[in-house]
Amino acid sequence: MTTLLERPDAPPTPPAPSRTRKRILPRAVSGQEWILLGVIAALWIALGAFTPAFLSANSIQPLFAYVTPICLIGIGMTIVITTGGIDVSVAGMLLVCAVVTAKLLVDVGVSLGVAVAVSVLLGAFLGLLNGLLIAYGRVHPIIITFGTANIFLFIGLTVFDSKVINGLPSTLEWFGRGEAGRTLGLPHAFVLTIILVAIAWWCMRHTVIGRHFYAIGGDPTAARLAGVKVERLTVIAYVTTGAMVGLAAVITLASGTSTLEPSVGAGQELAVIAAVVIGGTSILGGRGSVFGTLLGAILVQTVSSGVTQLGWPSQLSELFVGVFIIIAVGTDILRQRARKGKRL
Amino acid sequence: MKIQKKLTIGAAATLALAVALTGCTSKNASSASSTGGSDKITVAFVPKLQGIPIFEAMDAGGKAGASTLGSTWLYQGATSDDAAQQADIVRGFIQQKVSAIIVAPNDPDSIAPVLKEAQDAGIKVLTSDTDAPNSVRQVFVAQASDKGIGDALSDQLATAMGGSGEYAIVSCGETANNLNAWIAEEKSYIGANHPDMTLVDTVFAGEDQAKSAQMATDLINAHPNLKGIIGECTTSAPGVAQAVRDAGKIGVVHTVGVGTPTTMKPYLADGSSSASVLWDATALGNLANWAAVQLAQGKTFAATNNVSTDLPAVAYDDSTKTLLLGPPLIITTANVDQFNY
Repeated sequence: MTTLLERPDAPPTPPAPSRTRKRILPRAVSGQEWILLGVIAALWIALGAFTPAFLSANSIQPLFAYVTPICLIGIGMTIVITTGGIDVSVAGMLLVCAVVTAKLLVDVGVSLGVAVAVSVLLGAFLGLLNGLLIAYGRVHPIIITFGTANIFLFIGLTVFDSKVINGLPSTLEWFGRGEAGRTLGLPHAFVLTIILVAIAWWCMRHTVIGRHFYAIGGDPTAARLAGVKVERLTVIAYVTTGAMVGLAAVITLASGTSTLEPSVGAGQELAVIAAVVIGGTSILGGRGSVFGTLLGAILVQTVSSGVTQLGWPSQLSELFVGVFIIIAVGTDILRQRARKGKRL
Repeated sequence: MKIQKKLTIGAAATLALAVALTGCTSKNASSASSTGGSDKITVAFVPKLQGIPIFEAMDAGGKAGASTLGSTWLYQGATSDDAAQQADIVRGFIQQKVSAIIVAPNDPDSIAPVLKEAQDAGIKVLTSDTDAPNSVRQVFVAQASDKGIGDALSDQLATAMGGSGEYAIVSCGETANNLNAWIAEEKSYIGANHPDMTLVDTVFAGEDQAKSAQMATDLINAHPNLKGIIGECTTSAPGVAQAVRDAGKIGVVHTVGVGTPTTMKPYLADGSSSASVLWDATALGNLANWAAVQLAQGKTFAATNNVSTDLPAVAYDDSTKTLLLGPPLIITTANVDQFNY
């Protein structure tokens, strides 16, 4: 019945399945994800009916391209939040990665591959700083990353040196929003994001490391007693987030204008956390899905694009996103209470 | 475990201290070196924030003007558009006892009491770029009137669109007074002078290039007959042009905006932007410095002022206490190479 029995070589962590709990792994696509898919489908159909071109390629392609940085950072953030942590320094990291990569592109003229490699490695390094401070400092991640967020901001603005960076070359067009950024109508950046989401989803479900992330988020003390290397995994979670931020920085550069301003990334941490929470990941840890995060990001952008295309006032999209967050968190808390009630 | 914890906190604190110290040292060094003799007139300019091209250009203009007039020019802004940070910087200049302070307020009302402190300390107070009308400021050095900017944007858009069709506006902050004043002017001016043009929507993207591009894309999709978009600020002007370029609608959808020359250059070159309306920020910095020195010397302004060879007739309106740089600057492919900001 259980996946454990089907796969005898599977991770040894979970104890032998008890008769009362039929499943060790959650369903491949959970209830909340079905609901999200349903809401997105309903919105798309409604918007298709009430606007001239919402369901056209000209509208859907840019929408997918636009959500990729949020989804990419969201992969890392989902892992971090699943372990019971949070990373509010992603906007600062994005700023540092974007400005360094932009300078390399403009001043040195590096190729796309080099730009991606540098940005991802730089992001991973900044994530490593976060991870080490959090794993060994034993201070709540929100405080640590709030501190590093400001330090990253300082570094980013120092590299900017009080000037915007003009004349970004067309090197990045392969990742951009235009015709050069698509093959068979699919934006390259979005395809890459889907692949990474799929890999992350598989790792979270089917690898030892992936299951341990949930164990840490569920109960760190129990996880430690069960032999889970909590510190090492915490570091891995934040390094992954940093690397994803580095990749997102390149795509942000590619989908922006030929100018990079110091305001790049501002507020991005909240947009990412919104996508993660709407996607059904529990802010308390122990439960999360990168697939849900992808859907959360698409839902948020559907609402924003929909509000614009319907000609409604811009601020309504903030209201809708707020309502979605409250509904998602509310559902999570009710679910947790129900589970606790059952145990008692 | 405890030792480890203490060590980490210690390391974090040391790091924070080091950052703070290096920040302070460099700050003090720069101001100490630039504050010269006590008899010299010292003018300090506090922009909304550092790193914005138009303020850097104003800094360059003020510096150049100061070397001509023999005064000293100081420039310092906050790292974010935060009213409290700006107030702290102004207080710093009050303690340095500069002769005059020029401020581009982030929040006109909350800066007013700080400007009063400056005046009480015997410092001349001016505003530029953005006014604080309910403060003790003695003069507002204006780049262009709201009417001037709004009308110029309207006319440029009308020319690009051939005088008829649907247009939309992508603005930035919903509460930005100057942007809203320009939008109001555009609506009334286009209504009166280009009756065949119809405004279909006004959206707000914040100071976010990617978001302004995405919102412009949504507008293009929502209005198949759309012929024009105005990008109301320096982030949305290139953003809307990028959206038109990405959608392959160059020549179908025309954009104009308030953008800086270097940023707009590639978009003017491929036609995704028809024109940019701005002001000569370098000349504005020069004029602001001149006005501050004038006040510090106890002089007043005439109705028309001969500031320099480049600014031979600057109008002064005594009722609003405003010096006006002149008509707005219209940047097209013809003149975009003349500017370096």
